[in-house]
Amino acid sequence: MGTQVKDVVIKADAPNALLLDKHADYIAAYGLKKDDYEYTLSEYLRMSGIYWGLTVMDLMGQLHRMNTAEITEFIKSCQHECGGISASIGHDPHLLYTLSAVQILSLYDDVDAISVDKVVEYVKGLQQEDGSFAGDKWGEIDTRFSFCAVATLALLGKLDAINVDKAVEFVLSCMNFDGGFGCRPGSESHAGQIYCCTGFLSITGQLHQVNADLLGWWLCERQLPSGGLNGRPEKLPDVCYSWWVLASLKIIGRIHWIDKTKLSTFILACQDEETGGFADRPGDMVDPFHTLFGVAGLSLLGDEEVKVVNPVFCMPEEVIRRVGLHPELLG
Amino acid sequence: MHGRVKLKSTAQQEEEKRKEREKKLKIYVATRDACFNKRKEGAMDDEALQLTQQLLSANPDFATLWNYRREILMHLETVKEEDEVQKQFDAELVFLETCLRVNPKSYGCWYHRGWVCGRQPKPNWTRELSLCDECLARDDRNFHCWDYRRMVVKESGVPVDQELQFTDRLIGSNFSNYSSWHYRSTLLPLLHPQSPDLPVTCPKSSTNSPPNSPHTHSHRVCEEQLLKEYELVQNAFFTDPNDQSAWFYYRWLLGRAEREEMISCVYMSREGERVVVAFSRPAQAVGLMLLLDGKMQKVEWRSAPPSVRHSPVWICEFPPGTISDINNEHNLTVHWTEKYTKRECALYTGRAESWCRDTATDQELFRSELSVEKTSVLQSELQSCNQLMELEPENKWCLLTIILLMRALDPLGYEKETLAHFQKLKEVDSMRSSYYSDLCSKFMIENTILKMEYAEVRVFSISEKNLSTLCHLDQLLLVTHMNLCSNQLSRIPPQFSMLQCLEVLEVDDNLIESLDGLSNLPKLEELSLKNNQISKISQLEPLASCPKLTRLDLRGNPITKTDNIPAELSELLPSVTDLML
Ligand SMILES: [Zn+2]
Repeated sequence: MGTQVKDVVIKADAPNALLLDKHADYIAAYGLKKDDYEYTLSEYLRMSGIYWGLTVMDLMGQLHRMNTAEITEFIKSCQHECGGISASIGHDPHLLYTLSAVQILSLYDDVDAISVDKVVEYVKGLQQEDGSFAGDKWGEIDTRFSFCAVATLALLGKLDAINVDKAVEFVLSCMNFDGGFGCRPGSESHAGQIYCCTGFLSITGQLHQVNADLLGWWLCERQLPSGGLNGRPEKLPDVCYSWWVLASLKIIGRIHWIDKTKLSTFILACQDEETGGFADRPGDMVDPFHTLFGVAGLSLLGDEEVKVVNPVFCMPEEVIRRVGLHPELLG
Repeated sequence: MHGRVKLKSTAQQEEEKRKEREKKLKIYVATRDACFNKRKEGAMDDEALQLTQQLLSANPDFATLWNYRREILMHLETVKEEDEVQKQFDAELVFLETCLRVNPKSYGCWYHRGWVCGRQPKPNWTRELSLCDECLARDDRNFHCWDYRRMVVKESGVPVDQELQFTDRLIGSNFSNYSSWHYRSTLLPLLHPQSPDLPVTCPKSSTNSPPNSPHTHSHRVCEEQLLKEYELVQNAFFTDPNDQSAWFYYRWLLGRAEREEMISCVYMSREGERVVVAFSRPAQAVGLMLLLDGKMQKVEWRSAPPSVRHSPVWICEFPPGTISDINNEHNLTVHWTEKYTKRECALYTGRAESWCRDTATDQELFRSELSVEKTSVLQSELQSCNQLMELEPENKWCLLTIILLMRALDPLGYEKETLAHFQKLKEVDSMRSSYYSDLCSKFMIENTILKMEYAEVRVFSISEKNLSTLCHLDQLLLVTHMNLCSNQLSRIPPQFSMLQCLEVLEVDDNLIESLDGLSNLPKLEELSLKNNQISKISQLEPLASCPKLTRLDLRGNPITKTDNIPAELSELLPSVTDLML
């Protein structure tokens, strides 16, 4: 018995050039179909959805096509008494959407549209004794939330509001035998989690704690013969995992360990030539999430048709510079 | 959205689907609004439970609705009898079970299940364990379920050895299960920890050491168990040599504990009245205290490379006249207050410089002394892998493992074979050739450091080894002469500025474009850069901060073809008197 490599085959007629205009049209139209069933079902993550759409538009130089006033009003109406921000009106606040909202307002250079002090209080209040962060008042713990917390505070220039040393200690306790990171201490390594943890360590200036050679090996082994990257061993390739792996490799200074040309071919093949947008794999349905990570991935690979993306915040580098942040990257 | 294949459909099919979706949307929106309204009114009743159940069955990621259910359940706790509450919670678990069957990867479902169990006066952990077994039988990689299982194990006090047997069972039925190997890596060190006294050269860690990572001693496995474990993994990769899980695990077994944090070297020089301190791992200089001849010295530390928060190398200078007189003897003590350790260094009369350090060989940095037993086990492992190679000559996992075994056994003796295996690896796995180049460079640099230290010289020479990257530069603090000719280097990285004693550098016949690291090298006199990719004067700017540079050889670089270069260079580098273009 031999393990079958799980992978996809890229067809000869798959798209091989970046269809920027189509993607911009796709994203611009996405937010307009508000009475669509699928759209309504995704209301629980709306704030992140808007962040994905706006960021990819900004990377493509098309941010002006989005309705700034409407979006800013929406965000304001999603901030709760406790300071936290929810995915949409009527939903409960959560760190995931608090970060998305702060990211959107940072794109617009308008964080003061919300009460910054209250956001800081909210984030601070979610830190636990062991340094970890709960996602909301119900107490789910995850290294994703550690990332959300420090990314939110860094964008607001308020990183010192929390106990950074303790937060670092918790994230490091989630490091595994393969150099990767999981959700909680003892959890298996996962590319999404690794992105959150290396991003966290970058923001807090602690990347020297990573075993970059070991982790880099695990990460570059995510690349499959099709060129796409998976998120864990023996899984299928996916555009979003391609971003998480690639961004992590960039953060730890090992991006040259994968085959960039092949990855680029895979990402381009995930475009839908008819509708615009990117899917997780060639031939699947597109969505804004994979559209952002497709374009951001190509940016990290050096595609000059789009703006330079910051690997830690997944936002345009120019925005991160404007905020005055210089997240650490290993050389 | 994941794994949703785009299907072609006719206009009629589209229309039918549109109508169906419209209908579903109406029901969904009405139910959602009803839920939100009830919550606003503060309703905590069965109807609310029913409405949220309806929505969550279709959309378990609707986190707010789980929150609402928790509010209701908490309310019921206060108004209902205990057995009724227990029934309510049991009903919740039944509902969750159906949700998890449909959506076994929903964060919200799993968290809510754990919340419900934790809330019950008498949680039935046995039932939870069998739920996990059932779920893992359907998908043995579901990390949500694995995490949930770990929580159940912890809450119900399942002993570690029982969990290890659980992984035995899973691995026995399917070697190709990365999640089980991972779990094993967390359990073994708990059950069979490596004795902390084993690494003889390392001082005891202090009380405020960082949390245990899998690379520190407390997360490594004792030798006896380690040797047994090799056998298990060998079975796995002989059964399926292309399954990466076992190979990753094997590499961990072959790995070594990370170095303790300590001061690895103190160097002082009369010229420049300079002190250089090297740490075993990147650290901050804040906790450093200098006592010179018993008197505390106030100094300003700067990192090499400059402006790094955590660096392995820190530099400072004494005020002029402090140690410059060659007729005076000085005793320096460096205290690292954070780690309660210190290091002493004496500068005798007549001597221009002095140092105190553990060599890489002292610290067993790149190879450790193996016990007789371990040597024989590793030897037989190497033989087995060589046999496997004969059956599977293209197997990259096996090739890489052979290299690692050779390094554990005898890095210098196997150097030639190692290089040949790396060459083969780059051919059979070309997508990762840069990784193999960098790893090979690292091993060759380690070998060169070992050779240099056995020879007790300050000359580091490594040419024609296809080096693609430079590393371990913090180990080369005392090197005065360096030869890196005929490699594949494209840059001198910023970390190169750690080489505070370097006088002569030859780096001919590479692909150098960037000289970032050739800055602030106080002793650098000669630099030979023949046949590289220097094309602009700006690439040479870092050299302006090397005050002693007198000889510079740029022959064979594109820059020599530009006009007016001698004049521009003498302006940029006035100290260079011997320029070859
Ligand atoms: Zn995806």
